[in-house]
Amino acid sequence: MNLTTTQEKLTLRIDGLAPALARITAVAGNTLREAGRNKLFFGLLGVTILMLVFSVLLSDLALADQKVRLVTDFGLAVIPLVCIGTAVLLGAVLLYKEIDRKTLYAILPKPIRRSEFLLGKFLGLSLLLLGQLAALAACWAGVLYLRGGAFSLALVQALALSYVEILLVTSAALFFSALSRPVLSGVLTMGVFMIGRITYVINDLMQATKGVFAEVPAMRVLGRVLVALVPDLSTFNIADELQAGVAIPPAYFLHATLYGLSWVGFFVVLSLLVFERRDLV
Amino acid sequence: MAEQNDDILVLDKLGKTFRVGFWGKKVQAVRDVSLTLKRGESLGYLGPNGSGKTTSIKCILSLIQPTSGEIRLFGADPSDAAARARVGYLPEAPYFYDYLKPTEVLDYVGKLYGLDAATRKKRIPMLLDRLGLGHAMDRELRGFSKGMLQRVGIAQSLLSDPDLLIYDEPLSGLDPIGRKEVRELMAELRSEGKSLFFSSHVLTDIETLCDAVCILDRGAVVAQGRLADLLRMDKLESEALIELPADNADAAKALLTGLPGVEVREQVGAVLRLRLPTDVVPGLTAAVVEARATLRELSQRRESLEELFVQKAVHMSSDGQRATTPGGPA
Repeated sequence: MNLTTTQEKLTLRIDGLAPALARITAVAGNTLREAGRNKLFFGLLGVTILMLVFSVLLSDLALADQKVRLVTDFGLAVIPLVCIGTAVLLGAVLLYKEIDRKTLYAILPKPIRRSEFLLGKFLGLSLLLLGQLAALAACWAGVLYLRGGAFSLALVQALALSYVEILLVTSAALFFSALSRPVLSGVLTMGVFMIGRITYVINDLMQATKGVFAEVPAMRVLGRVLVALVPDLSTFNIADELQAGVAIPPAYFLHATLYGLSWVGFFVVLSLLVFERRDLV
Repeated sequence: MAEQNDDILVLDKLGKTFRVGFWGKKVQAVRDVSLTLKRGESLGYLGPNGSGKTTSIKCILSLIQPTSGEIRLFGADPSDAAARARVGYLPEAPYFYDYLKPTEVLDYVGKLYGLDAATRKKRIPMLLDRLGLGHAMDRELRGFSKGMLQRVGIAQSLLSDPDLLIYDEPLSGLDPIGRKEVRELMAELRSEGKSLFFSSHVLTDIETLCDAVCILDRGAVVAQGRLADLLRMDKLESEALIELPADNADAAKALLTGLPGVEVREQVGAVLRLRLPTDVVPGLTAAVVEARATLRELSQRRESLEELFVQKAVHMSSDGQRATTPGGPA
């Protein structure tokens, strides 16, 4: 038997959109498969589920009319944070691990474009985080049900916006991962997240008549740079509105989603530009 | 540029400079390497550690960008995915996702090549079986030996039935049996008409598997050509064992050693061992008759690849240490 097919020439589907999508899906599938064996991921998921269950016990300490609210607030605060933590941890090593383990050297010489590989990695991680969010949301819904609460449309909206925020942080992690080593990319991604969460505070401080941002010109410049370069992640946080019982207008939801996805696109394009030019020594 | 003639891989003055260290010191890993691989040919890429072999191969596969020069892979730029689709690549000490099984690795690779599910289903077990991995198809790679990983690497390189195989040190780190098996596989692939481009330190394997070689040293080509030509080129020598006559030894020796290119290698009593260019052999035999000496033995010898390699690629510094490329990736 020959080592190769000599009787019939194999058909390789390389050009066109469908083969490109198939390659992206293959990389995404492998990324999911790898994460599916990640003990840290499952450990984090398990601990969060335990915390959500624990919130039921905690709510017993609250006044009768506050029990559901406590569980709701707890879920709204913890679920996005855990998913973002996972995005930072896994995103920061997304490309580095492939280079460090030299698995990339066996994959990129194949007829796959670097952009397809990167998009596949991003898609895989995004799907994993969606699964994590869905699992935690399902657990949260169960806990709310036990407390006599309901999983309203507003909560679904809140989770959807959280997912946009998670995607944004993942895309930032992807960009820094294409640029630097894991520790630095993790720190930079956390920086984007933390500053992004307080951008509105910086804005307020710059508009005030007193305080360091108003009085020190250098700080004012720094504030402007931060506000311009870092996405405003408070856009995706509608917990206050939910607590106040204020309905989220569809226009706001759409605007926030588009705002988030624009940043995702920006970071992904930057990642592609960096990764395309990077020497894989 | 379209694919011309049978030139499937052309390197034209390829150069790669890295910047290393805090101050970005320049290290020239590859300098002005030019070579051509024709369809069906087998080319050995030789050089000591740090000579630029792997860097050149990474340039060919678009893993790193050349600083200067041009590469044409099947007439196209290596960044062209369609050109790379015709290449099967085995990296040095191949690393694959160790949580996968060989079938899963090959299935993943098959998807990247756009092979349909039916072809993958048929071809993957066939290749793994042929490479002696039939018994380990459902085991995770993390438990594989180096030789087994090398076979997985070869299997994935053959999955798409490529025209060109680029193997980086395919025989390094293998035990003697593993090396023999991989060597036989490569010989078989060659007999099936595949073009081979591979780097190796194992010179005897290159001698048996290659039509041509390219020897690199410190990033530059120091010898290149068809193996037969390189080893014959001004290096075809003869060795003669001659017994001098007892009554006229000095005069006979003077006559024999006076021939052009003749060099005394050894003298034990009246027996001389001479090395001489082969075209001087008729003159030597005539001189032996004239000096009344006895020609005990006459043999032709050819320079081995190892001698050529050592001569061309290994430099000795003044303290006797072998000089290698300073810093920089291999």
